[in-house]
Amino acid sequence: MFSGPDLRTRRQLLKTSAVGFGHVAMSALLGKESLGGTEQSAAPSPSAPQISHVAARAKRVVFLFMKGGPSHVDTFDPKPLLTRDNGKPLPFDLPRITFGTQGNLLKSPWKFQRYGESGLPVSELFPHVAQHVDDLCVLRSVHGTNPAHGGALLKLHTGTDQFVRPSMGSWVIYGLGTENQNLPAFVTICPTLAHGGVNNWGAAFLPAHCQGTPIGNASLAAANATVKHIQNDRISSAAQRRQLDLIRAMNQDHLEVTGRDQALEGRLNSFELAFRMQSAMPEVQNLSSETVATQKLYGMDDAVTEDFGRQCLMARRLLERDVRFVQVTHSDSEVQWDQHSNLYHGHTKNSSEVDKPIAGFLTDLKARGLLDDTLVLWGGEFGRTPTAQGTNGRDHNPHGFTMWMAGGGVKGGYAYGATDDYGYYAAENKMHVNDLHATLLHLLGLNHERLTFRYASRDFRLTDVAGKVAEDILA
Amino acid sequence: MPRPPFFPAFRSAFRFSGLALFACLGPSVCADDVVPDGAALEFFEKNVRPILVKHCYECHAAGEVNGGLRLDSRAGVMTGGDTGPSLVAGEPDQSLLIEAVRYKNRDLQMPPQKALTTAQIGVLEKWVAMGAPDPRIEAPDVADSGSAGMSTAEGRNFWSFRPVSNPPVPDVSDESWVRNPIDAFVLAQLEARGLRPAPAADKRTLIRRITYNLIGLPPTPEEVAAFLADDSEDAYNKVMERLLQSPHYGVRWGRHWLDVARYADSNGLDENLAFGLAWRYRDYVVDAFNNDKPFDRFMVEQLAGDLLPEANQETRTATSFLVLGAKVLAEPDMEKLVMDTVDEQLDTTGKAFLGMTFGCVRCHDHKFDPLTHADYYALAAIFKSTRTFAETRTGVIKHWHQHSFATEEDKAKLKEIDAEIAKKKSAASSFKSKAIGRLREAARARATEYLVAATKFEPSAPLAVVEAIAAPLELHPRILHHTRLHLEYNQDDPFFSQWHSLVAAGDADGVDKHFRTVFAEAEAAYVAAQKMDPPQKTLTDVRLRTAREALYDLSGFLAVPPKVEFAFDEKTLAEYYQLEDEARILESNAPDEPAAMGVGEQTILASLPIHIRGSHLNLGNPVAREFPEVMRTSTVRPVFPAGQSGRLEFARWMSSTQHPLSARVFVNRVWGWHFGRGIVGTTENFGQLGDRPSHPELLDWLARRFMESGWSVKDQHRLILSSSAYQMASVHPAEQRSSAAAANLIEVNPIEVNPIEGDPENLLLWKFRLQRLEAEQIRDSVLAVSGRLDMAIGGKTVPLRNRQFVFNHTSKDHTKYDSLRRALYLPVIRNNVYSLFSQFDFPDPTMPTGHRSSTVVAPQALLMMNSDLVMDSASSMASMLLDRGRDNTERVQMAYARTVGRPPSAGETQRAIAFVGELTSQSIGATGVDEAGKRQAWSAFCQSLFASNEFIYVR
Repeated sequence: MFSGPDLRTRRQLLKTSAVGFGHVAMSALLGKESLGGTEQSAAPSPSAPQISHVAARAKRVVFLFMKGGPSHVDTFDPKPLLTRDNGKPLPFDLPRITFGTQGNLLKSPWKFQRYGESGLPVSELFPHVAQHVDDLCVLRSVHGTNPAHGGALLKLHTGTDQFVRPSMGSWVIYGLGTENQNLPAFVTICPTLAHGGVNNWGAAFLPAHCQGTPIGNASLAAANATVKHIQNDRISSAAQRRQLDLIRAMNQDHLEVTGRDQALEGRLNSFELAFRMQSAMPEVQNLSSETVATQKLYGMDDAVTEDFGRQCLMARRLLERDVRFVQVTHSDSEVQWDQHSNLYHGHTKNSSEVDKPIAGFLTDLKARGLLDDTLVLWGGEFGRTPTAQGTNGRDHNPHGFTMWMAGGGVKGGYAYGATDDYGYYAAENKMHVNDLHATLLHLLGLNHERLTFRYASRDFRLTDVAGKVAEDILA
Repeated sequence: MPRPPFFPAFRSAFRFSGLALFACLGPSVCADDVVPDGAALEFFEKNVRPILVKHCYECHAAGEVNGGLRLDSRAGVMTGGDTGPSLVAGEPDQSLLIEAVRYKNRDLQMPPQKALTTAQIGVLEKWVAMGAPDPRIEAPDVADSGSAGMSTAEGRNFWSFRPVSNPPVPDVSDESWVRNPIDAFVLAQLEARGLRPAPAADKRTLIRRITYNLIGLPPTPEEVAAFLADDSEDAYNKVMERLLQSPHYGVRWGRHWLDVARYADSNGLDENLAFGLAWRYRDYVVDAFNNDKPFDRFMVEQLAGDLLPEANQETRTATSFLVLGAKVLAEPDMEKLVMDTVDEQLDTTGKAFLGMTFGCVRCHDHKFDPLTHADYYALAAIFKSTRTFAETRTGVIKHWHQHSFATEEDKAKLKEIDAEIAKKKSAASSFKSKAIGRLREAARARATEYLVAATKFEPSAPLAVVEAIAAPLELHPRILHHTRLHLEYNQDDPFFSQWHSLVAAGDADGVDKHFRTVFAEAEAAYVAAQKMDPPQKTLTDVRLRTAREALYDLSGFLAVPPKVEFAFDEKTLAEYYQLEDEARILESNAPDEPAAMGVGEQTILASLPIHIRGSHLNLGNPVAREFPEVMRTSTVRPVFPAGQSGRLEFARWMSSTQHPLSARVFVNRVWGWHFGRGIVGTTENFGQLGDRPSHPELLDWLARRFMESGWSVKDQHRLILSSSAYQMASVHPAEQRSSAAAANLIEVNPIEVNPIEGDPENLLLWKFRLQRLEAEQIRDSVLAVSGRLDMAIGGKTVPLRNRQFVFNHTSKDHTKYDSLRRALYLPVIRNNVYSLFSQFDFPDPTMPTGHRSSTVVAPQALLMMNSDLVMDSASSMASMLLDRGRDNTERVQMAYARTVGRPPSAGETQRAIAFVGELTSQSIGATGVDEAGKRQAWSAFCQSLFASNEFIYVR
């Protein structure tokens, strides 16, 4: 069913390749589909991106996902008219479909202040992140997800709220391959299993190695999160080594019977990679090897920020080992940022959990020279309405909201696009989710219209039939 | 859109000849004949063209024609795009172009990134009012229709739409190889290319192959021995018949169909509710295969079992097929949800039964296949008349439709159970709210102390510091922390201004005094007010009223953390979790209503408007219910009943022996599930982009035989399994020769074509394909050979009540996969498929899949090395070997016989014993050979066998 267009050439290439199986095996290990058997797809080689069309500005991506929908008008998109007209009705129509029932305008309970040389405003909710404002590219006109969480998460992560399609991380891995031989190329830390769950980091029909590897999930503390089946406490590492040698010997014998077969040979080596991953992964997750100062920088010394700080620090350690796409999720056992009521309380608590860790993460990336070629993306699946829900909450707003980027080829201290005077609809330089995806791929050197995969006889894209790169934000 | 007369406006803006006037009967006709006057031209050039070029051309000009609309020529403007003419000259208010730029209609806003300025909009309005003078009359480039599709006439000549033929069985040279006509078809093509088939597989290979193929399990050592000992001519047939009669045949082949039916036990997508009744459909499918239900009947029941005159529980259950798709259950736009669901049903039905990608036709004519937009909506009318959603819902989550088989008694009982669950649930939530209430009360009682303690640290202080302050005072640390933050964020709240000034003056005692007094006064005043007649609810004194409001504000300075983990102490938390668990477990184990998922009928629509670009907000011409033109089996058109959706007529048309696709598509699937690849490789796509059949005549011959046999699937198996083609070895002698020749060891006969070069993909079948076990087989085999597999058949196995949340907002995974029943009976949870399944290429249970992929990735190795399933099984098998084997040699022999169905060589035995010895010696304790260590060593050996290629691949 998978039949990439250049399948035949690729296979011939492999057959005649002087490098022989060694190289192919390596790609198979890294998760590429086997070339024997009956299923292949034309996945690009890990070391030589094949779909790179423009100069890449970023090599890696880290997505700091704020589940539930942080309010843009209370964080990065100040609206003086909203304050002025507090309690009055919205002076224009509500969308045709709204998630909940909405009342009149509700001003932000937080004050905004200008920061940095750029003077971009940030609210009191993010005093630490505000210190990095000159590195932020604030996208104030994102729109086009879905009015409900599930649909919106799926749209943001996969480009569609209706079908099961590859996630953006998977597309990136499909396009660029991996540079780490011991770790998965796409890792998602403590993801939420609700609202799309695995689909939000799944590879769908892309080759299996493109799927995200979860470390724990949102119901677990980051300190207890691990990759499935990474540990074996029943057998010593030495005995397991001996066991792998036995399996290798058995498989060599089997090859005598079957004749050479790339799937079989690939499988021989997949055990070696797994064995290496067993020691590499715990090593990455061992945060105690970081200095006390670094741990403090991420807020690991404070119960409020400890959990998210841990996730961010883990993310940095993965990025530094050339894991290509890392997602960090801020989600508790409720829908974290979903303040239909008690906006003040909820957002205060939420921002206090992430503000310092994110600021520390940015400081650290910069200090290590990683920020230049790492694209940081921050945001939720939608924003919140400037209108009130109940007396003190805000409803979902997929029609205009804020995300921000930093590093990896975007302008710093820059605000892109705008919502209307009250922050309801994206109004200027509107950035649809498809545009966001197109831009993200562009920054990685991928042309979103050419990054396609043929499945069920159709060429699929992350951006489907839409998407426009926001040229203005490129540094 | 009605077109008003436009002559007046036209006259004002144009210099025209009489001839032109009469020619101008429609906008597009106008364009070629008229030249605007100088002033109009100047207005266009100066004001209009720059706007169009700058803001519109990017997406609406040659090269990029979004929505089918071009604005780079007058003809393009007047003809318009998918939605019709972009403007009505002279009538701005009736022009789509103006509507779009005015940005008032949320579903039609252009340019999409940003609205034009008011001045620009004014220019365009004026331009349209002027009659839209436009000098761009040069003939535009031939518009790119964007379609590389076939016409219906061309389609009728495309291989898959031609009627199923009756091909003669070809002659071949080597007749000895031909056991039945299949072999003649296969061999004829091999001989034509100068290829020879591989020799027959040996008996051990054969019984392993056919046993996995038919029941998904390895043959037992006894079955292997019996087959080896049976020298009779029909020894193989006996094995085949035994397996076809096994109830586990249905377990294996039913699963194949469940792949196609995108079967799952939960909705997945946005809101993951349990499909607690889906198992009835699963069991229906297993039974259908076991009973050899004729496939045409199987098809009709799944699509229209509720509409059959003899409809019963079984046939209604079959219609679960249409309901099993993943749906966006919380989609607030019901009309979108309904059309998305219709699309899912059409796409699945098309792929499952017809090898057609109907999903591609929702927005436009098929780009490649002879399917039109109208064909799609003619079918969509049938499915939109079908009821897939129930009237009920849980909050924003819509319920899918079910057929209830409940008696009055059942219903009464269910009511009781529901009440019990509700009671348990409310016990948990009332416990929670009471506990929170107590926390609030306690905090209020000590409000002043919180304010005093808050003077002792900065808002930025870490929680650890706050805890150190709170502990000796027995205050709630997180409330205290919040109090401090609240004070910080509300500095301009006059009620707290005193706090800030006292703190600035370093007067903590002052804080105590001030607030203690005001709170006490406020409470006293309130008590007094209550005693008045009539009692007063609010205090008149603003100062005291504010104090009370601050005290009782749930999100005020004493707010209790909403997260229970943060609010409750350990004991309360444990108690709360206990209550929550009790409710959940009670619900999980509660019986469901006796019912099955399934479709019913809805308001019948005789026709449905075409949805332009697939949008339900942009409707075109209505089309009546019909079958796609290219597949029609008769020129006489069916009459669709006015009182029914037409699904039954649709299903009967599909199951007709005249239909070009149904039988072909299914026999191709069966072939693929036997050989590892279909005759058409793309099992879900028989269209232009799909593969062409490798053996077109054979495919037609099989399809015809299938229909002649009364659509008997088991007869189809018999035919295929008894062919020489199926019984070939998986290695061809020429391959071995060629690797030897490559090493210059032997000379190769230059006349015989080397199959590796002649047909590297083995499309022509010169050897049997090596196949990796599928996920379920790997798991079931590991359990079977270690004696742990529970062979029970059927029944509800998903440990969730119907419509229960798999995950609600929490990510806690309560789904267990530790059942020892066959893998078919493990829950298929969308969004979180069992890791063993997902790692070993279990198909995405939202898309019809006729052929699974077979990847090799490192996480599979981790699973074989470290998972409980594999290690527990290895350990069981080790115990068995130690118990039953008299010595190590026998133990190794038993292990090989059970796992790979053959005796080990002397070298293998030696190697195994050495391995076990080495590992045992590593764990020798002071007392000599440690029994546990010995078992662990044998366990490691068994695990190695499970992980070996020989175990995982079938030759």
